[in-house]
Amino acid sequence: MRPGDLLVLLLAAVLVSYLYLAFWGPGTAGEYAVIHANGSEWQKVSLHEEHEWQVPGPLGTSTLEVRDGRIRFSDSPCQNKACIHSGWLSHGGEAAACLPNRISVQVIGRDRRYDSISF
Amino acid sequence: MILQTTREDHLIAWLTALAITIHLAESALPSPLPGVKPGLANIITIAVLVRFGWRVAAWVGVLRVLVGSLVLGTFLSPTFFLSFGGAVASIAILGLASLVPGRPFGPLGYSVLSALAHMAAQFGVAYYFFIPHAALLHLLPVLMTAAVIFGIVSGTIVAAMFRSSEKRC
Repeated sequence: MRPGDLLVLLLAAVLVSYLYLAFWGPGTAGEYAVIHANGSEWQKVSLHEEHEWQVPGPLGTSTLEVRDGRIRFSDSPCQNKACIHSGWLSHGGEAAACLPNRISVQVIGRDRRYDSISF
Repeated sequence: MILQTTREDHLIAWLTALAITIHLAESALPSPLPGVKPGLANIITIAVLVRFGWRVAAWVGVLRVLVGSLVLGTFLSPTFFLSFGGAVASIAILGLASLVPGRPFGPLGYSVLSALAHMAAQFGVAYYFFIPHAALLHLLPVLMTAAVIFGIVSGTIVAAMFRSSEKRC
């Protein structure tokens, strides 16, 4: 192996690690979230203020909890609790929905992690 | 009329035939991702560069992609532009690298440089001409990792080839 070869390998390692950081690194944090209920926008909520939002739906009231710049469904009257299992959302573009109770939430940030999501 | 051919023409023809054979054999291998393959035909390009210089290597590199695509039926298809773009970029970077004073690179360095250039150009062509979508960028780290690994493999094979041929002589 020549000295130049070692240099090339080092540069390649640096380049590849940089690419992983640049394209696979954490997305930008969300600024606020939009809660939809019954097909229309219910409220824009800031992710910087701790709060529990009680959102009315056809089945009853769902609770969305905002803490530490994140939001999640913490309680819901639906059966399978898929919305609660979605967990905390914090990055722009992330979303969770409670279809039975017709409530959804999407985090809005500077750039979006996903264009669209289908289930 | 008989075309006058030089010794160098014959050399290029022989070496290109060798590279095309590897290229064709490799195209039969399944690939997990389009654009990802070991690029073993590059072994010939690198060996030719070290042994006969950049001019011959450039001919072999370009002719291999051209003839390979004619035989496989991908000539002028997106696949062809991807691999042609890659081949041109890798030959260009090999030209630059072999001009560096003191000739600091061996087969391994040339091979990794050329694999990186090939993959980067291929990705550029795919991104700007075929799929200009940001999601494609998420593939870039994986593709470049694959390029580095295959570059190291081919480079090591070339180095081993030279070692064993030196022993025999």
